[in-house]
Amino acid sequence: MGQGLSLSGVDFAYDAAPILSGIDLEIPSGQFVSLLGASGSGKSTLLRLIAGLQRTSRGHLLWNGEAIDGPSLERGVVFQDYALFPWLSVVDNVAVAVGKARPKSGKAERREEAVARLKQVGLESAVGKYPFELSGGMRQRGAIARALALGSPLLLLDEPFGALDPVNRARLQDLLLAVWESATPKKTIVFVTHDVDEALYLGDRVVILGSTPGRVIADLPVDFPRHRERRALLESRPFHELRERVAETLAEDTLRQLVAA
Amino acid sequence: MTPSTQAAALRELPATAPPGDAPAAANAPRAAAPSRLLRLLEGASVFAALLAAWFVASVYLPLGDNPLIPAPPLVARALVDSLPELWAGTLSSLTILVPGFALAVVAGIVAGLAVGTSRHLENAFLPFARVAAPVPPTVYIPYAIAILPTFKLSAIFVVFIGAFWPVFQNAVAGAHALEQRYRDNAAILGLTGFEYRLRVVFPAALPHIFSGMAVGLAFSFILLTVAELFGANAGLGRFVQYYADFADYPRMVAGILYTGLVTWLAMTGLDRLRRRVLFWHK
Repeated sequence: MGQGLSLSGVDFAYDAAPILSGIDLEIPSGQFVSLLGASGSGKSTLLRLIAGLQRTSRGHLLWNGEAIDGPSLERGVVFQDYALFPWLSVVDNVAVAVGKARPKSGKAERREEAVARLKQVGLESAVGKYPFELSGGMRQRGAIARALALGSPLLLLDEPFGALDPVNRARLQDLLLAVWESATPKKTIVFVTHDVDEALYLGDRVVILGSTPGRVIADLPVDFPRHRERRALLESRPFHELRERVAETLAEDTLRQLVAA
Repeated sequence: MTPSTQAAALRELPATAPPGDAPAAANAPRAAAPSRLLRLLEGASVFAALLAAWFVASVYLPLGDNPLIPAPPLVARALVDSLPELWAGTLSSLTILVPGFALAVVAGIVAGLAVGTSRHLENAFLPFARVAAPVPPTVYIPYAIAILPTFKLSAIFVVFIGAFWPVFQNAVAGAHALEQRYRDNAAILGLTGFEYRLRVVFPAALPHIFSGMAVGLAFSFILLTVAELFGANAGLGRFVQYYADFADYPRMVAGILYTGLVTWLAMTGLDRLRRRVLFWHK
């Protein structure tokens, strides 16, 4: 078995209603994959299956050749809904992850590592603050710091910037890219979004899920060189062409559903 | 994000942190604070009205001759005269209430969180809890006095029973109400077993637990005074019963008012503790 994430024939049904059908996907280690699809296409469900938070109805999920049968520190997750524990300060939230990644570390060591992670995401000013004292963007930085502190080689992000304003969203996209590009070895990332520009700007590859039930309808490489410059890329012709292609794929799927209905 | 909003984001990307990334507290709109004096006056109005009605009833109405309704000045004098005795009674009552309530809180939280997070324990214990919890704890008093070696132990037991069920039931409800996102995060972070219950379920359930503690504390005072009516030789309930037996109604009413004050102080203290512990619960 190769290194990375492997999904074969994955089905998932909820109360007999099919949500995902026949998902086959190979994601090599270190790749940044954007998982794109309309609302209800099962993107988040697929991410939860990869995280081990839910079980498949059929099919196999493997991470580095081993079956995924539950949550593991190998797979960090950042959710959309700012899920830091509200009763812990930001640094303590991150320190919990440090403690899990390095169980033999002392309290002071954990805190030091947690502060370093918070600095990495530009949150050094909020070390002792509690989640309710932070804006949405700051909370999501904290969630990313916590996922990084866990040291998981596979990072799963479920529309992490979906609730942010455009300016903060752009800032956090750049932060995520900077963190990912600077790491050695690179983490494998599966990034769920319904925003075409975000998917193309961030990913090495865009996997598009169609709806009812969710299935892979396109798997497109995003060959733009790394250390991407936002303005230049978003205004470039290749970017526009690829965006048109993705938008057409999504529109065709929507049309197919309407005709079927 | 549409292309146009993305482009707008590009253009507007500032050099310093944008307003949207500022702490929530700084952006929160300030609610108009109601006047403290007005709130105080509103809170005092019912007390003042009741006091006036009591004064009029005891002095000016025909039932003013009734010794069962002593005039407020008489009660005030009896209260002042009885303060040493009431203080001693308070200490005596606290030696029953504090251990009974504290044990109930600890046992209620531990049992409630265990039952609320384990399907097997829930299946085993909830049917029993549904039968046992509604039984009025006062019915245990005569039996507890008969079966336990001292009155104090009997009273502590009854207070324990009365406070245990509200804390237990609310701890179970708090564990059940744990949001899925916190369950998911705990799973992702590898928090399981005792660590999961201690670091995730317990703090998340605290708002429910404090509600149960408030109900349990009110029950505790009721049960404490009722138990003291049965066979105590000291305590707040005993004070009221003793002077009622001698038809000394000014002292009896003073005892009732004093007990109300002690109860209010205890409830206020618990509420302060709740606010302090749950500062994060907005």
